[in-house]
Amino acid sequence: MEDPNAPKPIPKEWLEEFEAASRRPLEQRMRYAFIRTYKPVLDDAPYRSFDTMEEYRRWCEENLPDWLGYGRG
Amino acid sequence: MATFEYRQAQEIRDSFTRNGCRYLFIGKSGAILLGFPDTTQDADLFVEKSPANGQALVAALRELGFNLTNQQAGEIERGKDFVQLKNGPFDLDLVFAPDGIERFEDAWRRRVEVDGFRVCSIDDIIASKVASNRQKDRESLPRLMSFREYLAGKTKGPNAS
Repeated sequence: MEDPNAPKPIPKEWLEEFEAASRRPLEQRMRYAFIRTYKPVLDDAPYRSFDTMEEYRRWCEENLPDWLGYGRG
Repeated sequence: MATFEYRQAQEIRDSFTRNGCRYLFIGKSGAILLGFPDTTQDADLFVEKSPANGQALVAALRELGFNLTNQQAGEIERGKDFVQLKNGPFDLDLVFAPDGIERFEDAWRRRVEVDGFRVCSIDDIIASKVASNRQKDRESLPRLMSFREYLAGKTKGPNAS
């Protein structure tokens, strides 16, 4: 029987991307990695804090648009 | 708010080190430091929850240019579980109790250092994303898990059996 925890083969396209990234200096990798787009609601306050992660997750689900992807499964 | 830059990551690293603040990059920003090729918007830091570390953290954040009120500084010093900062030179999420990681000390022991940046292990990054179970995390997990396999293969080397 197949072991469900056994490592899966890395898709060729991803492997090529991992190898290409490993050849780039960290500064360049970070320049490619960080992007900026406006996230409604989330970006509209300068500071937020939550006593618990559960409180934060619930706030995201109740206040952020679904398409941002912060909802839990 | 401008895009987060390498220079700002260096400033975090240097200021946190100068102030003796214990932190680990976590989430996709952590994975990117480990070499994961993907995109993200924010830097996420897993910060040790202790009074001394909280004070060091506030000092470092103020040094970096975050405009913290005394009330906000007090909350950070006490260590709320999650703090989202958009009142400084870049956006920063402070996570004091990430899902899927029991204790900071455990993650600290497993950390990886990349050019002086302290980063959660890929196992801990994946564990926190699995535990948080958000749609955006579920989407990135297969690729992150493949990246973990890739890193494991690199560690073993080409002649490993």
